Amino acid sequence: MEIIAQWAQAFIGVFQRGGEVFTGLVSGIVPTLIVLMTAVNALIALIGPERIDAVGKAAGKEGFAATPLRYLVLPVISCFFLTNPMAYTMGRFLPEKYKPAFYDAAVSFVHPPLGIFPHINPGELFVWAGIANGVQTAAGDAKLASIALGYLLTGLVVIYLRGLVTEYITGTMWKKAA
Amino acid sequence: MQALNSFLVTIGRGVGKVVGTLYQAGRDAVDQVIKNVIPFMAFISFVIGLILATGVGNLLANALSVLASNIVGLLVLSLIIGLPVLSPLLGPGAVIAQIIGTLLGTLIGDGRLPVNVALPALWAINPQVGCDFIPVGLALGEAEPETVEVGVPAVLFSRLVTGPIAVLLGYAASFVF
Repeated sequence: MEIIAQWAQAFIGVFQRGGEVFTGLVSGIVPTLIVLMTAVNALIALIGPERIDAVGKAAGKEGFAATPLRYLVLPVISCFFLTNPMAYTMGRFLPEKYKPAFYDAAVSFVHPPLGIFPHINPGELFVWAGIANGVQTAAGDAKLASIALGYLLTGLVVIYLRGLVTEYITGTMWKKAA
Repeated sequence: MQALNSFLVTIGRGVGKVVGTLYQAGRDAVDQVIKNVIPFMAFISFVIGLILATGVGNLLANALSVLASNIVGLLVLSLIIGLPVLSPLLGPGAVIAQIIGTLLGTLIGDGRLPVNVALPALWAINPQVGCDFIPVGLALGEAEPETVEVGVPAVLFSRLVTGPIAVLLGYAASFVF
């Protein structure tokens, strides 16, 4: 009888443990997230997402000089204004050969800004927040903000790099396929 | 009198528009959080509760802390996650990335991993992002079928290269941030 009671206690203990984790998450992150997302949604609606279409059209030009526009500026503003997954619709302004590279760059930017702009991809917030919670516990808010900024800035470099590499690989594979 | 009237109407309309926008923004924010964020919190709380209460967590945490405690291990992790066969499987909902991220976060919070492993670790769990979504993402960009045919392997192979490079970048940045 004792053993069954112990098993029952262990069984419910698993879910109580989960409940503790859930409470921590909901009380910790959700309030800030809701207020921030409200503010950013309002800002985006007031600015008007149609304004970034002009950037999309300019980004399709040939030549290396257009690559920062195509793999840095356009992915960043697409992700900020249209968020995941509508951001990839901005690829429609680009020539076919640049579309995979633009997708690579844009999709790689849906995680790096999450420490500062969680509205970009709240459904996958924990790719950032999982590690961020640990950093906050171990080192405090200032370090957390520093790492959030570091993630975003390295993200800018990475998406530009990914755009260039994927553009090159796409071009090579296209010639082989043709 | 007429001028005052139309002035008031303009002000009223303007304020109404701003208030309406803010209200809708709040609605969208709450909607997103309820539909996406809280369900995932429920799921991950259950998984973490299970892991912590059954001791499986210790096994996983030990394995992860070995990989994550040095730059070579993180590079290995990013290569595994970036493998073209694995990355589309790991991509959906970023579930695996979020679980690994949460486990790494627990290790950092406990002090079992140093804090400056956070930036390279964030990039180590990143190479799979969007790898499952390439055809849909390209279709959203109105791509032709030939573009998708070439684009899918192009992105997958590009990730194998740029995944580890991103980890190295994160490692370099961890000395600054």
